[in-house]
Amino acid sequence: MRTLLLTSLFCVCAAAQVRYEDIMKGPTENWLTYAGNYQGWRYSPLKNITVDNAGSLAPKWVYHVPNAKGLRTSPLVYKGVMYVTNSNSMYALDAVSGRLIWQYLDTRAKGQGVNRGSAILGDRVYFTSNDNYLTALDRQTGALIFSKNFADASKGISSTSAPLVVKDKVIVGSAGGDSGMRGFVAALSPTTGEEIWRTYTVPAKGEKGADSWGDLVEWGGGATWLSGTFDAETNTLYWTTGNPWPDFTGKARSGDNLYTCSLVALDLETGKWKWHFQFTPHDTHDWDAQSWPVLIDMEFRGKMRKVVLHANRNGFFYVLDRNTGEFLRATKLIDKVTWASGIDDKGVPVLIPGMDPSPDGKWVCPSVKGATNWMGQSYNPGTGLLYILTLEQCGMFNSSSQEPVPMKNFSGGGATEDGGQVILRAIDPKTAKRAWEYPMTGGGRMWTGTVSTASGVLFSGDDDGHLLALDAKTGKHLWHFNMGESLTASPITYEVGGKQYVAIASATAIFSFGLFEPMQSVPLPKITITK
Amino acid sequence: MRFAVFLFLALPLAAQHGQYVGGSKHPEIGNPQAIAAGSKLYATSCAGCHGPDGSGGRGPNLVRRSLWHPLNDENIFSAIRNGIPGADMPPTKLPDDQTWQLVAFLHALIGPASENTIPGDAAAGEQIFWGSKAGCSGCHAIAGKGGKMGPDLTNVGGSHPLALIKESVVEPSKDLTFLGNEGVTVTMRNGQVLKGVARNRDNYSMQVVDRKGDLHLISMMDVKELAIKDGSPMPGDYGKRLSATELRDLLAYLGHQVSRPQGISPQDKN
Repeated sequence: MRTLLLTSLFCVCAAAQVRYEDIMKGPTENWLTYAGNYQGWRYSPLKNITVDNAGSLAPKWVYHVPNAKGLRTSPLVYKGVMYVTNSNSMYALDAVSGRLIWQYLDTRAKGQGVNRGSAILGDRVYFTSNDNYLTALDRQTGALIFSKNFADASKGISSTSAPLVVKDKVIVGSAGGDSGMRGFVAALSPTTGEEIWRTYTVPAKGEKGADSWGDLVEWGGGATWLSGTFDAETNTLYWTTGNPWPDFTGKARSGDNLYTCSLVALDLETGKWKWHFQFTPHDTHDWDAQSWPVLIDMEFRGKMRKVVLHANRNGFFYVLDRNTGEFLRATKLIDKVTWASGIDDKGVPVLIPGMDPSPDGKWVCPSVKGATNWMGQSYNPGTGLLYILTLEQCGMFNSSSQEPVPMKNFSGGGATEDGGQVILRAIDPKTAKRAWEYPMTGGGRMWTGTVSTASGVLFSGDDDGHLLALDAKTGKHLWHFNMGESLTASPITYEVGGKQYVAIASATAIFSFGLFEPMQSVPLPKITITK
Repeated sequence: MRFAVFLFLALPLAAQHGQYVGGSKHPEIGNPQAIAAGSKLYATSCAGCHGPDGSGGRGPNLVRRSLWHPLNDENIFSAIRNGIPGADMPPTKLPDDQTWQLVAFLHALIGPASENTIPGDAAAGEQIFWGSKAGCSGCHAIAGKGGKMGPDLTNVGGSHPLALIKESVVEPSKDLTFLGNEGVTVTMRNGQVLKGVARNRDNYSMQVVDRKGDLHLISMMDVKELAIKDGSPMPGDYGKRLSATELRDLLAYLGHQVSRPQGISPQDKN
């Protein structure tokens, strides 16, 4: 057995290059892109850990990331090496032992914002610094190949998301929409970092859609905080856009504020706009469209449709035709939604009057955190269910009468929340009905994503800092582990040497779990010191 | 090969360098005239104990010390002015302006090479780096080109003082702990033999980069024998192999290797 293992463990060959086709396959023993596959499923075909044996999961190793607090990284794994990120830094770990192989720290980067992960192609791994440098490193040695700036940090733009590699492009987004900036999606060269195209999510003055704004359109926000998804059949990227700025007062930006709080479909080759759908026109509650669009084919009203699913912060769960952007259905994601009575047959919210933020405060459900947020939802083709961490919570929204000034950390007011409950929900996208739900104790923090497997196990984190394994069909508890910290990241699963692992970042460390097996004694080798 | 150790051990320290260099407000810091004046003062007042290039003697190596215990400019000023009680470092009677000139010189000496004036011909040094006489690029990479077994030098000038780069080239095995960058020959239980640099080695696993740059993940269950090189895998004869001019030019080339300018994005320049 050891000899067999040796073959697989011995060499991570330079000749083995990560190709687009490998990423296209979705997770195997590897995990090659943020959401697992291009469709955004966070679904793994691995079957080593099952509903029957998940109870014997045990920690295998921990790696404490230097200076980490509130890690949000989702690891990648390729041929036994795990890549994790923190602010302006990347670490390569042995995915079996957790030992550090190399680290890269950009000491000259400005800002210490969060980082959600990396991308991989060929013999390189990519991540972005807080101040918008796409950085390419040799995946085996961590050597710097290039670090190329793609956006101006002095204009309020920062970078937090994992890049998405598709074919010969590295797609990056933009963060920072809460202090005034102009959001975009850009395609960069994986060879040099040079820009191939850039598409803004908010129009320039005079452009189509600019009349849905006031004078501040060019600081309007529409950040692209999260990684998007990709449909190879139509060569289309799907990306969600953030809230308009100033967040909590809309008086300086009358109109729908296109194309904020939207889903946009872009051509991969050119960045050309295909269609958009706006979930929350003229948002005043900071309800970005956050979680990535999930692409599936499913029966809808008796007909097979190619759809895109999106669980929005505004409290509704949407189904759109992904080729045309046609609105198909929206249903409540959480029980208590007080700003709109529903979504009409054109996809427009039916507003309940008087729910905008006010100087004295307005109590609105969902809270500013939203019904769900950026944490990874997952889709399991075996169960046909979509798994989403939701938050039943209301909050107070205040508006400010100050004149908005970009780049001064002015958000037009503020919001607080109180109480609330996190509930992990399994939704049948065909009917929008809940198959099951798993309510959690905790402080209503809600920041952990999900991953599910072909063997019917769903992994997520609860609101008290436990990593969980549930039966993906029924929601039945199988296993938990107290991580000792808040969880603000999404788990992944991978395999090395025929053994399946589940990894997740806690606030300060990376943990990896596998099925318990008694430790074998490790003999010391004969060691000689040579000149 | 020495750089491996620096990069591996000194990364958190590199961050402190950045804070240190960027955090100073005194006008003499970075002022070439002040640095030149400070250099003269250093030669007469400090070099006797700390060495002409700061590499130490009776007093500590100032350049290396800066890696494990960086001081800010005010701390350096205070040490010069007041001395170190209990040590041989005496107080000085230099006036404020001269003391700040000394601080400016020390700041330049122990800050990243690229932020200071570097003597030599970097273009000539580039030829040496990539040429066969020195053979640096057989093991070291810059911007994705070159060898992969040795540490990456793409940002060596942006992260290390020139004096330390020089020491690493000329005396690669001096004062170093090699855990993390040991030269190893691994004999596996199945007879396979692997030579390379161990990026990590513990009693249970080992991660080795070979000369081609391939990474090998090894369970110690599979290792029969392990030979560890006593010293850096980098040749120790560069002080003889290269002429003084060649060495100076090579250092000039290395000192200019920066992944990006200090704290400036391209747009900031506009």
